[in-house]
Amino acid sequence: MLFDESTLRKLNQLTLVASRIRSGAIKGERRSSHRGSSVEFADYRNYTAGDDLRRLDWNIYARLEKPFIKLLEEEEDLAVYVLIDGSRSMDWGDGEQNKFLYALHLAAGIGAIALGAGDLLSVGLLQGGRVAAEFSPARGSYALPRLFKFLESLEAKADTDLNASLKAYSIPPRRAGLAILISDFFAADGYETGLRQLLSRGHEAALIHVLAPNEIDPPLAGDLQLVDIETNAQQDVSIDGGLRNLYKARVREWIQSIQTDCRKHGIRYLDLVTSQPWEQVLLLEMRKSGLVK
Amino acid sequence: MQFLTPLAFALSILAVPIILLYMLKLRRKQTQVSSTLLWERLLREKQANAPWQKLKRNLLLFLQLLILAALVAALARPALETKVVTSGSVIVMLDASASMNATDVKPSRFEEARKSVLTLINGLTSDSAMTLILAAQTPQTLIASETDKSLLKAALSKAQVSQGSADWSAAFALAAGAARNEINSTVVIVSDGGLPDSGLPSLPGEARYIPVGQSDDNLAISALALRASKGVPQLFAEVANYSGADRKVLLSLYLENDLFDARQLDIPAHSQKSVSLEDLPVASAVYKAHISDPLKDEALDSLPLDDTAFAVYQSSAARRALLVSNGNFFLEQLLASLPGIQPFRALPAADGDLKIPNEPFDLYIFDGILPAELPKANLLLVNPPANPLFEVGETVKGIHNIQVNQHSLTKYVDWKTVHVLQAKRTTMPNWMNVLIESDSTPLVAAGETNGQRIAALTFDLRESDLPLQVAYPILFSNLINYLAPPSAFDASQSLSAGETLTLVPPTDVEKIIIATPSNIAYTLAAGQTLFSETNELGYYAVNFTSKDAAKAEYFAVNLFDPAESNISPREKLQIGNTAVTPAVSQQVGLQEVWQWLAGLALIALMIEWQVFHRKPFKIRIKDKG
Repeated sequence: MLFDESTLRKLNQLTLVASRIRSGAIKGERRSSHRGSSVEFADYRNYTAGDDLRRLDWNIYARLEKPFIKLLEEEEDLAVYVLIDGSRSMDWGDGEQNKFLYALHLAAGIGAIALGAGDLLSVGLLQGGRVAAEFSPARGSYALPRLFKFLESLEAKADTDLNASLKAYSIPPRRAGLAILISDFFAADGYETGLRQLLSRGHEAALIHVLAPNEIDPPLAGDLQLVDIETNAQQDVSIDGGLRNLYKARVREWIQSIQTDCRKHGIRYLDLVTSQPWEQVLLLEMRKSGLVK
Repeated sequence: MQFLTPLAFALSILAVPIILLYMLKLRRKQTQVSSTLLWERLLREKQANAPWQKLKRNLLLFLQLLILAALVAALARPALETKVVTSGSVIVMLDASASMNATDVKPSRFEEARKSVLTLINGLTSDSAMTLILAAQTPQTLIASETDKSLLKAALSKAQVSQGSADWSAAFALAAGAARNEINSTVVIVSDGGLPDSGLPSLPGEARYIPVGQSDDNLAISALALRASKGVPQLFAEVANYSGADRKVLLSLYLENDLFDARQLDIPAHSQKSVSLEDLPVASAVYKAHISDPLKDEALDSLPLDDTAFAVYQSSAARRALLVSNGNFFLEQLLASLPGIQPFRALPAADGDLKIPNEPFDLYIFDGILPAELPKANLLLVNPPANPLFEVGETVKGIHNIQVNQHSLTKYVDWKTVHVLQAKRTTMPNWMNVLIESDSTPLVAAGETNGQRIAALTFDLRESDLPLQVAYPILFSNLINYLAPPSAFDASQSLSAGETLTLVPPTDVEKIIIATPSNIAYTLAAGQTLFSETNELGYYAVNFTSKDAAKAEYFAVNLFDPAESNISPREKLQIGNTAVTPAVSQQVGLQEVWQWLAGLALIALMIEWQVFHRKPFKIRIKDKG
């Protein structure tokens, strides 16, 4: 069971936020930029020939003898795409601090929020340059158990090629929506081109950067041969205090560079350490970052 | 340097596992990380620092091997040879006699001995104490029962060699005194062996002997003396060859620094030759004798101290005595026969008028008469009439119970057979010492008042049988030598270094300044009659300053000690009943130095620790929750 009852109830009160609102296929609980047929008043405009006479404000016409069309807020649903990096490097960290498990928890939480808000939710597992598994779009809380089941079935096993995977994900035509990528971004070739591709399809993106605490401050010292669990690449290193401090600084710079890059492209960015309780992240950090409200 | 347990070097093989372990350690431990991406980037930047990293690793290996080497060497117990490693209470007697000036070992025997003592101090174990005794003319304890090596070294550095003979008996007494307070004491004698062969008291505890010196190469002026023979000085010089080889020497004789005679002497080994010179100038003078190599212009032998000697001739014609008398055969005879006295006689005129010559005399003798005014000089009054010095009464007959008082002037005076018919009743003032007295009146008295020496006989010599007795010349010789001292001191015999000179200054002297051979001036107070700063060999000038005249006299200080001049080092010492030999086993001791190596290992260990800890092991993860 990924969530307990009370957490779930809290998650249901949250709504995912996309800054530029996409047109939904069905009426959702979301305010749309389209003026439409809901009951909530938005504005008036002059009548032009061909306008639906049902939307003329007769009361105004009676008073002013001028025809005005009443513009109403249109509420629509949002397409939410949760993309989970399923590379082996994600399978790092002990117990609750395992990055992949953490990513699944976040995906479940976001999924629960999205479903609870009546959004259209898709979940994709990015693995080895492709989309290895996909949770077909679903809407409504009834899909929650199926989502959880899907997430539980996932495994981190292949290499990372975020560019290729994102490209692959963006090829099939999808409704433009909010794409949330959860990854550690340990990708030799980076993620930028894939992300651009995704953005070019009209999606709005948000990055959740997940790192284990011992990746930020590694408990390593002495003469070591480091073995990459994903690529099996070996790296000889003699770690002393100076080198460790340098590494820590380098991690900070790396996170900062991703953050700067994201800000430049209007992408929301959230960096997380798996030592933070994920419930707190869902209920607090994501709200702070503006990803949910 | 030797090793007491050289087998320990087998432990050097432990270097093999260290190097092996080190090579194994270089096989890095494999550690899994989620990604090496960041490490790779980081290390690409750090490539430049790689050589230093390597060096640092090698530094650790080097330090570890150094620690092992130091520990193995320490276990092998390296030991340095030292002269004598001493423990317990050590009493060192350092010979500072004249023979220690010998230069057969460079720079000198005394410096060599000082070095030996320094080795002893360095070899002293931490719980043992040392007493340093300097054996010179006056032996002195330089430092007593001290454990602090720096204090011992400071005391040792102050020790000075002397130019005289050492008083070994006194030094042994000091050593015995120092040893008495200790339970386990060792007496170490650092000397060239110039100790007396017998008569030394045995020492408590163990005695050791560290001999100094190698050669017996020395010639010495063993005697230089002057004496008056028929009023003319005669010089006697003796040169001794203490070495084992026949030698030729040039003996040069100087009179007041002017060479007046030089002759070559062939002296066989261990023998001496003497030279006599006559017909020398009558005047008082300082004579110098010097021996040198006739062929080469360099030091004749190892001990130059005894190659020069001085002698002083004092002409004895100075004492003039004036006898004022109506005619006294006994006194005239006596004065004529006393050596060193030039007698003069003055007779009163027929009318009884007495005229004293104007020229001064050393001594005035008034027999039965006195001038109107007494001369301001030393006086001998025989049977005096009334005078201002003491009270003279009527003539007493029947002199009985004659008593001779103990005094230097009555030395050897035998009065038992002397009879006096009559004497004048006198009362002597306090400053007069009554030498001989009867129950009715003093007979002979002497004393000093206002710098004037006065002696008095209260009877007429012709009224007694004294002139016929043995006591007569003795008593008068004593009195005249007292009243007219021959010289302030006796310079005919030279002193040995450190010996005290007794001065009898003329009565009118106000100040005495004595200049040593190295021109250090000592001022003696008027009343002082002893001078003991005679540690230097050479001739000393004694300047007497009186109200209207200054006079200089000289005396010489010479070594003239065969025990010191014979510098051949002794093989053994006879102390009490035991012969002390410098046994080889006692001479060489071993001082272990493993402590230093262990200390080195410790320091290397600490440095290694520091170097290693430049890689801090902070593996605690900061809790970010």
